[in-house]
Amino acid sequence: MTYLLQTNHLTKTIKDKDLVSNINLHVKRGEIYGFLGPNGAGKTTIMKMIMNFWKPTSGDIELFGEILTPSSYKVLKRIGSIIEFPTFFDHLSGKENLKLHCEYMGYYQPGSIDEALDMLSLTSAADKTVKNYSLGMKQRLGIARAILCKPEFLILDEPANGLDPSGIKQTRDLFHMLNSKYHTTILISSHILSEIESIADTVGIISHGQLKKEISMKEISDINTEYIELSVENTKKAAYILSDRLAFTNFKIIDEHNIRIYETKVPIQEITKTLATNDITFYSINKKSESLEDFFLKTTMEGEK
Amino acid sequence: MGKLIILEWKKNNTKKYILSAFIMAACLFLLIFGINFWGMAVDPDTGMVDAPTGYNQISVFIDVLTHMCYTCFCATMLAGYIVSTYKNKRMSLMFSYPISRKKILSSQMLAVWIFNFFATVLTKLFLYLAVQIQSQYQPSAFGLDFNFSSPAFYIQLTLSSAIIISISFVALFIGLVMNSSKATILASILLVCLTQGNIGSFTLANNLIFYAILLISSIFFAVLSVLRADSQDLM
Repeated sequence: MTYLLQTNHLTKTIKDKDLVSNINLHVKRGEIYGFLGPNGAGKTTIMKMIMNFWKPTSGDIELFGEILTPSSYKVLKRIGSIIEFPTFFDHLSGKENLKLHCEYMGYYQPGSIDEALDMLSLTSAADKTVKNYSLGMKQRLGIARAILCKPEFLILDEPANGLDPSGIKQTRDLFHMLNSKYHTTILISSHILSEIESIADTVGIISHGQLKKEISMKEISDINTEYIELSVENTKKAAYILSDRLAFTNFKIIDEHNIRIYETKVPIQEITKTLATNDITFYSINKKSESLEDFFLKTTMEGEK
Repeated sequence: MGKLIILEWKKNNTKKYILSAFIMAACLFLLIFGINFWGMAVDPDTGMVDAPTGYNQISVFIDVLTHMCYTCFCATMLAGYIVSTYKNKRMSLMFSYPISRKKILSSQMLAVWIFNFFATVLTKLFLYLAVQIQSQYQPSAFGLDFNFSSPAFYIQLTLSSAIIISISFVALFIGLVMNSSKATILASILLVCLTQGNIGSFTLANNLIFYAILLISSIFFAVLSVLRADSQDLM
């Protein structure tokens, strides 16, 4: 498999302290990769090395199929980013800041600035000087700048910082749209697990400078499904069907309406279809699984034991 | 490179610096006129002009004062354009562009150098012209040792301006190493003392070898500042 971004044994040491060590990251083209870790785990350090702001002490970074060197500038044309917090030229307006960005990026697409401002609901504030922007507006302007030149790869370090709940939802929808419509690959870091859970295809969990796990959200869901909870009108009839038609042996009748099925590999659709064709009235069926939070805590705690 | 320099002027609020240069030129004008025409240099007891040895021509005052002001002014601009850009993390933004970092830093240094070079030349020309015109109507306290019709006058004016502005790159390097705008400005003040100061009649202001060494050093430090961009982590 070829990856858009791959790091090989990436290590960064400053003053004899390993900020990150032996990181092997794999980001597939077209996916949203959630980078999870507590504060100070090393997420920003890795992102800074990907952006070439910091030089790796050892190991290398492969981006768009090329090994990154201190003079790999051309590759930056294909990347949009926010690292730590967005900075602007405060005496210029939001629109002027974006114009300046286009000049430096060599990107001249008529209407793109207005479109980016509109996507982040900044049209009415476009001509206001940035020094008069709130923290949330600056964050949105930073995102507008990151997506402005339609990058193939977006690197977003805690993009929800300073945003209100509606802003968080708006940016989440925007990232989904960019990913589905333009196939933009997104590397997004956060310590807010629910944010990553709702957006990422794959997560990388980092703790104490080490990548603990790299896993797809689907795998997390499959691994961590504990049981399927089925609520029916008649448990006896339902149990007979599960046993006779689906050949289930691992299930338990909890009370007169609820059954827990521990055969978690069977698709829910198959169970519902069989129940329906055998005239079993059921009220609900749900997969009960660990949340990403449980998985994250379990993964990060493992290393500390 | 030309486009990058223009962008530097655009994003660094250069209007503010133009206004400051005008105010500085006006202050220099008042000071030079005060010394040369309004009796500031005249000892009230003796009624004679009181000046250090060697300071008996007006060109010395114009050059020393202009050089002092613009060495500091250039260092202030370098601090604003480059050192504080590192400090307030705007350099991260600049280094996220698909442009060579050496080129970015060179364009920032050149933007400051070009601005200050022209500002110094224009300020000097303005002061010389003002003194020349006023001397038609009022006696000058100091000798008028310049000649507008001589090419040597323009060569000397241009070269000395270029050298004095270049010297500020030494201050820039110190500011970059210490990651401090204040250090840049302080270093420029020390450079002013070194280049324009005097102890009794001893001064390095007219020592060509000293200026040659200083110019070579400043070019060396400018190159070193640019080369650091690729090798250093952006803190």
